[in-house]
Amino acid sequence: MSTDAVRIKKDAIRIKRDVSPASIILSILKWTFLLFLFAYAVFPVIWLAIASLKTNGELMANPFSLPKIWQFKNYTKAITVSGIGRMMLNSVVISMAATALNILITSMAAYSVSRFEFKGNKLLQTAFSSGILVPLNALMVPYFVLISNIGLYNKMGGLILVYTAIGVPISTFIVMGFMKSVPKELEEAAVIDGANFYKRFFTVIFPLSRSGIVTAGTFQFLTCWNEFVYANLLTSSQTVRTIQLGIRYFTNQFSTDYVSMYAAIIVSILPSITAYVLFQNQIIAGLTSGAVKG
Amino acid sequence: MNVKRDEKIGVILFLLPVLILFIAFFVYPVIYLVIMSFNKWSGFDAPVFTGLTNYIKIFTDKVFIRSITNNIIWALVAGFVQVPLAVLTAILLSYKPRGWKIFRTVYFFPQVISGVALATLWSAVYNAQYGMLNGILRILGLGHLEKNWLGSLDTAFPALLIYWVFYVGYFMVIILADIQSIPEDYYEAADIDGASRIRQSISITVPLAKTSIVTCMLLAMINGMRQFEQVYMLTNGGPSNRTSVMVLYLYKEMQNYAYGTSSAAAVVLICVGTIVILTLRNTIGRPNY
Repeated sequence: MSTDAVRIKKDAIRIKRDVSPASIILSILKWTFLLFLFAYAVFPVIWLAIASLKTNGELMANPFSLPKIWQFKNYTKAITVSGIGRMMLNSVVISMAATALNILITSMAAYSVSRFEFKGNKLLQTAFSSGILVPLNALMVPYFVLISNIGLYNKMGGLILVYTAIGVPISTFIVMGFMKSVPKELEEAAVIDGANFYKRFFTVIFPLSRSGIVTAGTFQFLTCWNEFVYANLLTSSQTVRTIQLGIRYFTNQFSTDYVSMYAAIIVSILPSITAYVLFQNQIIAGLTSGAVKG
Repeated sequence: MNVKRDEKIGVILFLLPVLILFIAFFVYPVIYLVIMSFNKWSGFDAPVFTGLTNYIKIFTDKVFIRSITNNIIWALVAGFVQVPLAVLTAILLSYKPRGWKIFRTVYFFPQVISGVALATLWSAVYNAQYGMLNGILRILGLGHLEKNWLGSLDTAFPALLIYWVFYVGYFMVIILADIQSIPEDYYEAADIDGASRIRQSISITVPLAKTSIVTCMLLAMINGMRQFEQVYMLTNGGPSNRTSVMVLYLYKEMQNYAYGTSSAAAVVLICVGTIVILTLRNTIGRPNY
């Protein structure tokens, strides 16, 4: 069959398909499904944002009405009552430190494992990637004992250490995948130029695996930013409280002042939403890369 | 590249920090849990060896049995409802309908919000007095169905289970990327044979995207086994422990200074998780890990 004939036959099939009643029903079903998921993803957030600008009276009277006067003072109250500023700062410090440390050590390890052959190399690779599947929440007792014993309970350092560690398997897995794809010739050229092990890492391999490192870093940062279980377990005082832990206390802090609590929730998710709007491609790549073959 | 003598030190030095953390936070904790699960320990005095007492205690505890059951239901719903929904969505978007990129971006969006924040958001949706769900029911004239969704015995667990099922964005993106790497030729050949799109999806798309689908099922089910935040925030296991899960159980045992019992529950959780992984691997197919 010539190409034209194929195209004509394909077009014929397409046209036939497009007018049949079955395909119209399927198309309606398809769009209903797609739009339902769309609404499902955004509607609760939008509803909460609008509710956060109402008075409690208005919310009680009708959950869907628009506010008569936009109550921006709910936000002032949310910020002052919850102490959200401090918690944000704690979250930023902890997440940035844990990400920087994690990326530095995992890219070093990935360099060793992915570009040098030695005994136990394969075993290490398998161990690291199976670490991804360990249900971390089950390790509360040993983490609690370990962190208390080294005197880091209720300290930011404790969370930084735990977050650096729990991201080790996934970051190593991601960065390893990228480092394997850097051509051997580039490194060999550097060897000829007299660059030693360390120099090759910092001047050749690290810069060339940049996209993998950024991807792993994105994943790691978001994991730290959103982590709750260990923030809850390993801290007790307000001065080291992260933003996720803060959300837990909103119900106590605001009790029946729902609208201010909603405002506090909106403020707490605003950084994530902003980051997503600005860097969505990077974030999607970062969060999914761990599940894509490296 | 073979390791030259002067590089040996470098390789070891570069591996060391990760190796130490991996042993301290992944290998040692599991061993620790196994040992501690045979002991009675309140966290203050020395642990006392008690054999299988902790295991007998948790397996005769209705709350723990309920927790395991809930976790298994949770994992099954995640693997066999949420992931298939994600596959369906990915297939629909792979034909690039109008605005597919916007759909992709929006579907993924809930993924960047933390579990705690989402749970708090949904507690507002389910709220008995001013919640969104009851509000919608009233508008639809279904006011008689209004409920205290998280407070009633019969709706609390379904309410916990259902809200995240439709957040398919994460798995959808992974599967969609895989589908988009399938060569066009297969579909063109199937077009010529007159195979419908549904037929093409079943015979071409799903088999060729199998690895990513299995990986997603694995991640989804593991997620179901280690649930904590949502339950902790929305119901704290109530009403009358109806919505308890294993991690919540071991957390509460820990708060009661029953570290041994908590460890036993954790060991069971790790075993059940491993069984899930191995079963999936040996029946449906190999994931990426």
